[in-house]
Amino acid sequence: MSEPILVLRSVVAGYGAGDILKGVDLEVQPATVTCLIGPNGAGKSTVLKCVSGLLRPRQGSVTYRGDVIDPLSTRKRLSRGIVHVPQDRSLFPAMTVWDNLLMGGYAMKDQKEVRRRVEQAADTFPICRQRAHDHAGSLSGGEQKQVELARTLVLDPGLVLLDEPSIGLDPKSRTQVFASIRGLAEQGITVLLVEQNARSGLAASDIGAVLETGIVRLVDSGASLLTNPEVARLYLGGHATPAAATAATSAPGR
Amino acid sequence: MHALIQGIILGILTAGVYALMASGQTLIFGIMKVVNLAQGAMVILGAYLAFQLFTSFGIDPFLAIPITTVALFVVGVLVQLLFLRPLRSDDRSELSLLVTFAVALLLEGIMSVIWSTSDRSINTHYANSSWTVFGYQITLVRLWAFLLSLFALGLLYLLLNRTRFGRAIRASVQNPESATLLGVQSERVSAIGFGLGAATAAAAGSVYGLLYPFNSGSHYDLISRLLSIVILGGLGSVGGAVIGALVISVSSAIVASAISPIWSEMTFFIVLLLVLLVRPRGLFGTAARGAI
Ligand SMILES: Nc1ncnc2c1ncn2[C@@H]1O[C@H](COP(=O)(O)OP(=O)(O)OP(=O)(O)O)[C@@H](O)[C@H]1O
Ligand SMILES: [Mg+2]
Repeated sequence: MSEPILVLRSVVAGYGAGDILKGVDLEVQPATVTCLIGPNGAGKSTVLKCVSGLLRPRQGSVTYRGDVIDPLSTRKRLSRGIVHVPQDRSLFPAMTVWDNLLMGGYAMKDQKEVRRRVEQAADTFPICRQRAHDHAGSLSGGEQKQVELARTLVLDPGLVLLDEPSIGLDPKSRTQVFASIRGLAEQGITVLLVEQNARSGLAASDIGAVLETGIVRLVDSGASLLTNPEVARLYLGGHATPAAATAATSAPGR
Repeated sequence: MHALIQGIILGILTAGVYALMASGQTLIFGIMKVVNLAQGAMVILGAYLAFQLFTSFGIDPFLAIPITTVALFVVGVLVQLLFLRPLRSDDRSELSLLVTFAVALLLEGIMSVIWSTSDRSINTHYANSSWTVFGYQITLVRLWAFLLSLFALGLLYLLLNRTRFGRAIRASVQNPESATLLGVQSERVSAIGFGLGAATAAAAGSVYGLLYPFNSGSHYDLISRLLSIVILGGLGSVGGAVIGALVISVSSAIVASAISPIWSEMTFFIVLLLVLLVRPRGLFGTAARGAI
């Protein structure tokens, strides 16, 4: 395996008293999709916040491309190519789709380049052109997800953090979102995602990691986790997917 | 009938100036969820500065606007950095009422010391000129004041909707966390936003000084009107502030001409109460948490 692009080493973090993350270890390989699953409140979103800089770990370290990034601000991490799409709807609802895309390049100085990248992102996600002048809030949940993904492309990211990208989507939009996520990895972008919908999430991922009460309990390929009986019992609603059905790991979930 | 239409014309012209003051206040609320009780005092400070520039240097109050807006912009940024930024974000909204009220009193004190508490007015050579159009009298100062306010509101609109910084302001209003994640530095946006709010107060202040006599205590009356306007329009909505100013100014002008000037003062608040009975979040209340 190549050098991991992102390494979390014994990360301890929390909000008030008490720690939520109690020593998280995780390695993410470049240009792959890694999926974090686990029960509500396990600290999945908190892991992403530690990587993007919304939260500073109390102990441990986060290393990106060989550099320890803990002292860096959110903005600095952004300029290094780490983009975080938070759990709740992250678009600006009363701004047009196009303005939302332009905001994706806010951290960049060169506005001409931003415009060029926005055009490019809109080529990848056609909905952005079709609804360019509509308020983002008027789009359906699935359409909004497409725009969110397009917006991350504007920064030409190296690592995209996606918090529950399929939440609230119908099966068809979900398939589409996971296909787009695979598309990011094929372009060479590393994706770390958190997913409630463990079955679809793992199916679209190269690697899965199970987070429980602030500790990573298990790391394996997405396909193996899908067939792991214990994971199945806890996170896949009871029964493991027959091994044959997961042969095509990259097939988006249903 | 003639008096009524004359009243409506007056109301519309007056509304422009109030809309400008209120737009700054609603902008500040939209960005920071801070009700700036010092907005009235900042208007009066703008009026005093225009007064001083006029009496000392003969600078026309309209031409003084670039100077007074820059001065108040700086005051606004300082108020945000010194007094509001240190407040913790969870109770910023509540505490900011006290803080901005304290700032209003501080400004009032400073103004009383410098300019005393007696009434001032800015008497330009055109102060009493007027045109008669189809039998209706239009005071020149009011017309200019109205046009200037429209112009300033137009600039504000362009700034918010057509510039990178404007996008950042709107983004922080609509989704602060997302904005931070895209690299918007919310403290900087807040400081500049507060400065802009104060700058609109300065522009409106120059004009206010031309239209009405004022003293250091005039801000109490002004802030109660401004609050009525922004609450009526829906806190946080600039478009709402313009509509709110129109509704309130026109209705009090109508009351003044049709019933009695004594009642017109109260119309502000009566209209506000009536609207809030029907629409508790103001005319554009639903937009209060979205657009600005
Ligand atoms: N801003 C915050 N302030 C205080 N506590 C928080 C904050 N955000 C999260 N927590 C707490 O931290 C714990 C972990 O939260 P986190 O959001 O990381 O969980 P999660 O695994 O993403 O859960 P979910 O699946 O529900 O999204 C929870 O108990 C939560 O209450
Ligand atoms: Mg979460």
